Amino acid sequence: MKRSLNRRTLLRGMLAGSAVAVGLPTLELFLNGNGDALASGGGFPQRFGWWFWGNGVHGDLWVPEGTGEQWKLSPELLPLESVKDDITVVSGLKVYTPNEVPHGTGPAGILTGGRLGVAGGDFDNSTFGAASLDQLIANEIGSATRYRSIEVAVQRSNDSLSFTGPGQSNPPEYSPKALFSRIFGAGFVAPGEDPIIDPKLALRRSVLDAVGEDAKQLKKQLGASDRQRIDQHFASVRTLERQIAKLEEDPPNLASCQRPEAPLDDYPDIEGRPQLSEVSRVMSDLLALAMACDLTRVFSFQFSRPVSNLLFPGASAGHHQLTHDELGDQPQVQAIVRQIVSEFAYFVEALRKIPEGDETLLDHSVTLGFTDCSFGKSHAVDEYPLLLAGSACGALRRGYHYRSPAAENASKLGFTLLRTMGVATTEFGSDEGYVTEGLDDIEA
Amino acid sequence: MKLRHATAAALATIAVACTGVIPEPDQQPPEPQLSPAPATLKRLTRTQYANAIYDLISPDIAVPIALEPDVETDGLKAIGAGTATVSNRGAEQYERAAYDIAEQTVSSKPLRDGVVPCNPTSTDDAECLKRFVEDFGARAWRRPLTQDEVQRYVTVGVQAATELDSFDGGVEFALAGLLQSPHFLFRVEVGKPDAGKPGLRKYSAFELASRLSFFLWNTIPDDALRKAAESGEISTASGLAKQTDRLLASPRARAAVRNLFTELYGLHKLDDLVKDGEIFRSMSADLGGFAREQTLLTLEDLIFEQRGDFRELFTSRRTFVNRKLASLYGIPAPKLEGFADTELPKNSARVGLLGHASVLALHAHPVSTSATLRGKFVRTVLLCGDIPPPPANVDTSLPEPSGARPTLRDRITEHLTNPSCSNCHNTMDPIGLGLENFDGIGQYRVRENGERIDASGDLDGTPFRNAKELGEAIASHPNLSQCVARNVFRYANGRVETLVERATIKALAAEFEYSDFDLVTLLRAVALNDSFRYAAQETP
Repeated sequence: MKRSLNRRTLLRGMLAGSAVAVGLPTLELFLNGNGDALASGGGFPQRFGWWFWGNGVHGDLWVPEGTGEQWKLSPELLPLESVKDDITVVSGLKVYTPNEVPHGTGPAGILTGGRLGVAGGDFDNSTFGAASLDQLIANEIGSATRYRSIEVAVQRSNDSLSFTGPGQSNPPEYSPKALFSRIFGAGFVAPGEDPIIDPKLALRRSVLDAVGEDAKQLKKQLGASDRQRIDQHFASVRTLERQIAKLEEDPPNLASCQRPEAPLDDYPDIEGRPQLSEVSRVMSDLLALAMACDLTRVFSFQFSRPVSNLLFPGASAGHHQLTHDELGDQPQVQAIVRQIVSEFAYFVEALRKIPEGDETLLDHSVTLGFTDCSFGKSHAVDEYPLLLAGSACGALRRGYHYRSPAAENASKLGFTLLRTMGVATTEFGSDEGYVTEGLDDIEA
Repeated sequence: MKLRHATAAALATIAVACTGVIPEPDQQPPEPQLSPAPATLKRLTRTQYANAIYDLISPDIAVPIALEPDVETDGLKAIGAGTATVSNRGAEQYERAAYDIAEQTVSSKPLRDGVVPCNPTSTDDAECLKRFVEDFGARAWRRPLTQDEVQRYVTVGVQAATELDSFDGGVEFALAGLLQSPHFLFRVEVGKPDAGKPGLRKYSAFELASRLSFFLWNTIPDDALRKAAESGEISTASGLAKQTDRLLASPRARAAVRNLFTELYGLHKLDDLVKDGEIFRSMSADLGGFAREQTLLTLEDLIFEQRGDFRELFTSRRTFVNRKLASLYGIPAPKLEGFADTELPKNSARVGLLGHASVLALHAHPVSTSATLRGKFVRTVLLCGDIPPPPANVDTSLPEPSGARPTLRDRITEHLTNPSCSNCHNTMDPIGLGLENFDGIGQYRVRENGERIDASGDLDGTPFRNAKELGEAIASHPNLSQCVARNVFRYANGRVETLVERATIKALAAEFEYSDFDLVTLLRAVALNDSFRYAAQETP
């Protein structure tokens, strides 16, 4: 704590005595002393997340014309116009695990490279059999920040596609107010604010030590599957202890970090229709700032859940019902996909609005955009719709259309993302989804 | 059913499953054998967490609602609790809730005095803290704590009392710790090897008391139950029966049975009804909650007040409505605010559970009805049939309403004639079509797009002309008693039955039938069944 006080005293003196404009680059320099925020070779840290929506796309209208750097936005991708140069479209990959559980096989294939864990018949009974990409990456980079990872959703649902291990899901925060108070409430210190070190933090850690000890002792009495569950409880308790320890340390003091305005208490449905765009944008801005403040480097963003039957503005029926019942070219489904893609574009822009040095948060991150099947009507999992935004600090190409020459295994993308994010693995996935190589062509 | 291993033979099994009949075990033993599944830890549901806090401290505590969400598996949270873990956010939420509750407790003198059994002689009176940890801990964890465990939380308490210079500060942190422990958050009921029964583990007296309490009261054991565990009385057949009868006779059993049916019929989902307000002009944000209350009051009345025949749930005109529901149903409103019992008119098309807005609105689309969703509810939840998911890569669309196809029955023909669909849809859609006289929120209608609705059909050989006769067909369906018995068994034990236990369920169903479908008798029989007292050794 001594170091902290000295540094803060120094900062306060500087800010009092000189113009604020001088302060910003200097503030960033101080991070070197902190060690972790600028850990990756003096640059900004890499961030990873995924952005998911339910019910697929309309395949014929998704895949862009042209490949490589010469490609045109397809009708369903048109809302990405403003961010086209920051996006890579990956098309033609296929999930090879058997498509047994509509809307479940696809996400498990993309995020775990494997089959669903327990396939109890329908989606409601299914779970992942392995950790999802975000959590594999959080294992690598999650301990540097206060939050190992942050899961958010726009549709009100506790269903999650983020899994720490088999059957161990991370339910998302779907209330903007709850997300705000969790991240920017008690304990958050904005740059320039005096940190308030709560004397109870050390006591809370002692309590968690006792709880952790209970878990350790309890494990000895249990069978294998229960041991795994108590291990998860223990790991969560340890993560919480680390979180509290972070509160006792200097907060990262990044130039773009600021305390956001509090969102509304509630975003009620209007005539049975949720305020999807409003909530999605508030969540996007909060998540972008959480990363600007280096409170987390890993996220998942679930716009809608698999099989979502949300009523979109202007639609004559729920989304899932329309994907199956609407005839012909499904103009309503197309309109819904375009609405979703435009919210994805908003998210990408929210990251791009955060300056980090000469670049932006978007440059220092990669977001995987994906859905639960390719063509919603048939639940197909070939020709998988996949998007990448950002280059993860220059590691990945942008403004690119990667067209798979021969329906490559979709796990190859997960492999590349793991490697890009510093996970030193030589394989990804299992069963039909097992791969030992990535998509070299999307690397910069 | 794990389709991943589907072979031709397995597919044949699926086809059988689609008949909706509970498959028979290959060999049926003459007497139901005891062959339970291994025990698994159950994470407290949100409801159980709140109930436990009310009982431990006071119903005046405002229990935080942001807690790790429940997991639902095989249609029940009681089963999902056996797979649930604690995520990172979950640990945060449990921590925040624990401190919130601890602070409410110590900042109110009556509540604080209610949990601290002694007068501290000093700020860091370790002896008094020890008595608190032993006493509160044994209630919260549903068993006496070991010496190590007591010491662990006394140490925490003394440290806090010293640093905060307050004995109650010590209580606050020790209490918050006890509530975050896996021994509070999980029901640790794992049993011990039983010398007389090789391969089995017998639940300890405290574990059995906890199981019984969560099953019949959905909360932690009360003083009398703890005493019966301390004395070992509960481990005897007569002791268990005595406690079972005591719990069932209490009004608290009603709340637990409401919880059972809330889980089973998915009534908690009524809080998130998505209905297009332009199409359903009677839709309002409170409709879902009211509809749930109707169903739960009707069940509570039938099961406990009337001690009636459970089959009447599907045929009775007796129900409970408030003004909103009375207006939706087009019947006279109660004179006073709130719910009142009512007798639907003699010629009412709406009778029984399948006339409740709860079931009708839940199993429908946001803009329309769904014969498939309603039929699936009847087939899988009420009659326990298995239905596999639709195959991938099939065209699932229904034609738009048109002059030639004005009603859902006309449009759904494809499901019922195309062989790749009809095998399963025939077990669902014809049932759902019997409910077409009720729209997507349960309002009665005679016509759809100008055409008179034909709600006739056939349930496994019993023809019906309308929803009322469909209800009668369900009430007299041969699967009904076994299905109710299976569901109660699964809820009580928090797991799916083993193959051998299907015979146990048959026996329970026979007892249920013999009692003229008295659900209290069934609850009692499930609690007294050996499957409730034993678990299998886990196979390595």
